[in-house]
Amino acid sequence: MADIQERKIKDAQMRAQINQKLVETGERERLKELLRTRLVECGWRDQLKQYCKEVVKQKGLEHITVDDLVSEITPKGRALVPDNVKKELLQRIRTFLAQQSN
Amino acid sequence: MSCNGCQHLDELKKQHGTEPYKIIYSHFIVCKSADARRRKANQCICYVCRLYTPRLHACMSCVYIGCYGRGHIHEHAYKKEHYLAIDVCYGVVHCFACQDYVYDKELEEIARASTPKLALGVGIKMTFLEWEPNDQEIDLLRRNAKRRRVEERSTIGLRGLINLGNTCFMNCIVQALIHTPVLRDYFLADKHNCNIHMNLNNNNQCLVCELSQIFQEFYSGIQAPHIPYRLLHLVWTSARHLAGYEQQDAHEFLIAALDLLHQHCQATNGNVESGRPHHCNCIIDQIFTGGLQSDVTCKQCNNVSTTIDPIWDVSLDLGPASPATNGSHSSSLCSGYSNSPGNYDPTSLIDCLKRFTKPEHLGSSAKIKCSCCHSYQESTKQLTMKKLPIVACFHLKRFEHSTGYHKKIATYVSFPEELDMTPFMSSSRNNNNGYSLQVVQEAARSLSCENKYSLFAVVNHSGTIECGHYTCYVRQHKDQWFKCDDHLITKAMPQEVLNSEGYLLFYHKQILEYS
Ligand SMILES: [Zn+2]
Ligand SMILES: [Zn+2]
Ligand SMILES: [Zn+2]
Ligand SMILES: [Zn+2]
Ligand SMILES: [Zn+2]
Ligand SMILES: [Zn+2]
Repeated sequence: MADIQERKIKDAQMRAQINQKLVETGERERLKELLRTRLVECGWRDQLKQYCKEVVKQKGLEHITVDDLVSEITPKGRALVPDNVKKELLQRIRTFLAQQSN
Repeated sequence: MSCNGCQHLDELKKQHGTEPYKIIYSHFIVCKSADARRRKANQCICYVCRLYTPRLHACMSCVYIGCYGRGHIHEHAYKKEHYLAIDVCYGVVHCFACQDYVYDKELEEIARASTPKLALGVGIKMTFLEWEPNDQEIDLLRRNAKRRRVEERSTIGLRGLINLGNTCFMNCIVQALIHTPVLRDYFLADKHNCNIHMNLNNNNQCLVCELSQIFQEFYSGIQAPHIPYRLLHLVWTSARHLAGYEQQDAHEFLIAALDLLHQHCQATNGNVESGRPHHCNCIIDQIFTGGLQSDVTCKQCNNVSTTIDPIWDVSLDLGPASPATNGSHSSSLCSGYSNSPGNYDPTSLIDCLKRFTKPEHLGSSAKIKCSCCHSYQESTKQLTMKKLPIVACFHLKRFEHSTGYHKKIATYVSFPEELDMTPFMSSSRNNNNGYSLQVVQEAARSLSCENKYSLFAVVNHSGTIECGHYTCYVRQHKDQWFKCDDHLITKAMPQEVLNSEGYLLFYHKQILEYS
């Protein structure tokens, strides 16, 4: 049990460290931009936009909040990200970390 | 969701103006300097979680940072009655009293104005911006309410071309150009603003306008074959060497057409160069021009002299290379970038490209003056792609014109549907980074689509050199192929396309940079 707890803390620390590096170097912005570009290119953005429109129409513009939309859209949005986009991003992060530790 | 802010935001703006937004925006959302980014990396965490979590918000009254997911920014907002907070990722303002994001024109303007600075600061060349219609376009959209949607199975854009007497060499190139996605987008967006009437004396017709007209014809929905007599007339008057009712070489026509289109695009600028592609910003050069790097290494002192030439196509040798063909020149106008080292028969496009980019030994009969040794020395020469064009056009040199004989090389050369140009790039040649890093980078590159191309048109020649016929396969949508045989259009299977002989192969870059 203690092991799991310890690992969780270590993971969190590692994540914080990586994130700090990503922000500091501007890599985070570059990754964000790459992701945005890829999602536009593969039609993800259009698909999700269309879905948002449907949800808004269904619930009525007057009654819907961003929180509603976020909870409706998030699972679908996650599921629709193509595998090769995820792979490319993961590889980019790996490359970045390899460069950082050099 | 309100587009006009809310009373709470109005109140805050009345008291402090847009200053709080500007300060938070420039510190946490766009960081121009490395310093600012370091600060952001250290400070931008949820004050409760002590972590960088998704959807962090910064309070507009006291810059308290809390996460949205676990409600820590909510807690702060209600406890302190600081109802307005900015999402640190996107810069949008949330009002916790109204329980929703609020949109304010003035703040949006501030955000819009600072985004490019952010991009520059971290080396992003150009960010994708969504198309927003201007007033004129809004007016046009309003007046033309009918929209046409191109469905997946739609055959719009497919039309045969009447043969006007051995003009299949022209028809197949027109089909390839019409099915070039970026070129289509350019013309269907009505981007050619013509000024040519004033500038080309005697010849007040513009080939770009004519091509634009042909695009309109192809996308009009009419199914009957189009008669390209105006185009033919224009070609005859502009490129005299192609005039007459004889069969011409489709590759020669392609280069002549690109050159004419480029000249007519540029006619307004006054300094028209013809004969070869160059660093020009016209749509033809934007799409077709690549950069070919030539490295000549002196055998004596290893000094490398590098030149980069713009090219519109790559001409590839077939058949075994004999020493005599070294340094041969293609007869066509402005291609003829070819290289013939190696003495094996290439059987695939990749083989051809390997041969094309292989270091070639320039023997004692072809000594080059070395700028280092100040004397003529033997050297090796290597060609690589410095800059990849959006459309890569490969010309398989199936016609051999030597003194005394002309013959066609009908060897089978396979070509892929998807082509990765990475191995043939200058950067691959120069790759001498640290080993481990290189491995990682290579893995990243092979996954990335950066240098990947998709086949979208194949021009074929059947028959003999004296008596032959040109046809063209074109791709519609993602994977539907059609054979264009003058006025006839028939459906084709991808395998049929890949099994065809291939004379001109057109590949389209999978990913475009926004620049
Ligand atoms: Zn506060
Ligand atoms: Zn939190
Ligand atoms: Zn409010
Ligand atoms: Zn024109
Ligand atoms: Zn040009
Ligand atoms: Zn030398």
